[in-house]
Amino acid sequence: MSFLNHYIYYIGAFGLIFIGLYIVLVKHNLIKVIIGLSIMETGVNLFLISIGYIKGGTAPIFSTPEIEAARMVDPVPQALVLTAIVIGVAVLALALSLAIRLYQHYGTLNLRKIKEQRW
Amino acid sequence: MVNPVLLIAVPLGLAFAIPLFGFISQKLEKYIPPVAMLFNLIVSLSLIPKVLEQPIVVSIGGFPPPFCINLVAGPVGVLFSAIIALVGFLVSIYALDYIKEGATEKYHMLYLLLLTGATGVVLTGDIFNLFVFFEILCISSYALVAYLGNRAGIESAVKYLIQGAIGSSLVLIGVALLYGLFGTLNMADIARNIDSVSPISVFVPLVLLITGLGIEGAIFPLNAWLPDAHSSAPSSISAILSGIAIEVGIYAVARVIFTVFGASSIFLFLVLLGLLTLLVGEMSAFSQKNIKRLLAYSSIGQIGLIVFALGIATSYGVVGGLFQIISHSLSKALLFLAVGYMIYRTGSMDISTLDGMGKRMPFTSLAFTIGAFSLVGLPPFVGFPSKFLIVRAALAKEEVLFTVLIALVLLGTVIEGAYFFRVIQTLYFKGKRVSPNKREEAPIAALIPIGILMILIIVIGVYPRLVTDILNSAASELLNRIGYIKGVLG
Repeated sequence: MSFLNHYIYYIGAFGLIFIGLYIVLVKHNLIKVIIGLSIMETGVNLFLISIGYIKGGTAPIFSTPEIEAARMVDPVPQALVLTAIVIGVAVLALALSLAIRLYQHYGTLNLRKIKEQRW
Repeated sequence: MVNPVLLIAVPLGLAFAIPLFGFISQKLEKYIPPVAMLFNLIVSLSLIPKVLEQPIVVSIGGFPPPFCINLVAGPVGVLFSAIIALVGFLVSIYALDYIKEGATEKYHMLYLLLLTGATGVVLTGDIFNLFVFFEILCISSYALVAYLGNRAGIESAVKYLIQGAIGSSLVLIGVALLYGLFGTLNMADIARNIDSVSPISVFVPLVLLITGLGIEGAIFPLNAWLPDAHSSAPSSISAILSGIAIEVGIYAVARVIFTVFGASSIFLFLVLLGLLTLLVGEMSAFSQKNIKRLLAYSSIGQIGLIVFALGIATSYGVVGGLFQIISHSLSKALLFLAVGYMIYRTGSMDISTLDGMGKRMPFTSLAFTIGAFSLVGLPPFVGFPSKFLIVRAALAKEEVLFTVLIALVLLGTVIEGAYFFRVIQTLYFKGKRVSPNKREEAPIAALIPIGILMILIIVIGVYPRLVTDILNSAASELLNRIGYIKGVLG
């Protein structure tokens, strides 16, 4: 069980990434594909957070003198995740607005039926 | 000394100021991108003599590297930012008259953001910052591909967005793994410590980064989005995507492989990948009937050639690869700009409808011819010295394998020549239906950038010495990673 205790966040993160990737690769509906992308991004963000996580660690602020640096959670990945979330929101918003336009043009969101551009 | 931060800050600020300028006058908006890019061009060119001596490292926030986000304006960065500014400036002049319909202020804003992202990627010294600028570049290009809002544009933008989003997730996982291994995001600091961990644990982030960045760089087999996106975008955007966006992707791959990882063991893989990309691109281009798709596939072929040259990883090879990037940026931008108004006049992208264009639009057809000759590598155009350097680099290896490979590369060039000459033949020698006195030349705002690109292609082709200094020191920056680390960390 100690294995699970140590690596549970990593397992969860990569689980989410692979679930997201599977949805993107397999599903035909554009909305589902966008959901897959979103799940994948969540997995990546969880992975970033878990890299800097220390069990029982505190926020990296020297509020009281007895707090030592070794017990602090690494703040850099959290800053990265904030940025990554913002980027993810932008991509998601653009993808959904494209999905609306795609539906207006083709009357369907099934990606297997939209095949005007071919090799 | 001008601070290299301005190369990013000024266009970024102006990009978000464009809607504000729109309150003053709707006509003002479209003049902002040329002004910003002209500024960038002047600053980049004025930085070149200084960075030839030593790279300029800018630490943001006052902390010394590796604790801050830093910009590294070395020869490579300044070379690329000068190319981006030059092509961006010329294409934005072209767009003054070309972009008339739709939400024009959004076009100009996204256009400037795309170029800001590209400049940021080539100047940054921090791998997460590279990811952020890459996303600025990618998100604006997804939106710009869909700018026309027609069926083809929306469909290609969706394809591009899905593949690009997967790519950026892979890059982010790679960055996270590197941070987990080294506890730093500074590229020079990662490069310094890369030998201290086992090669296997470095291999996974390397693969993730190459795959993720390779999607934007359109390396085979990650290039499925490119022909659709480049052919359905407005022609001015196709010119930027082909002339700048994919080169920036290649730059990022090269920076990761050469500087961050120093992965000399995968150079041969890079050479083979480049060759495969080249042959697939050229052979697909050969069978195209749509002129913009033909140019898009030809871009894939050229990217293959660049990757091939960088993979040779000798001084000549990298100089040849960087030179080929210059040559491809200028020539492909010229081709797309010329084709833009031809399509506008005929209303169709089919090659067969272009017959007689040599008489209808003589100057534009001449521009297309010069761009095509330059890409094929005929003297005295800029494509000739760059291809010559690549052939020379491969032969200088003095290995049978490289001699065989360069023969295959030249076979790709022959195919390239075949399809370009077919188009040129259609332009000049098939026009029986059109009366010769009917002239419909492109407007003057389009002819100026086309003319400047033609002059540049010929001038650099005749005097390659104009760029050899910066190319040589850029190649040594890529090949000499110890020097890069020392330059950044002191």
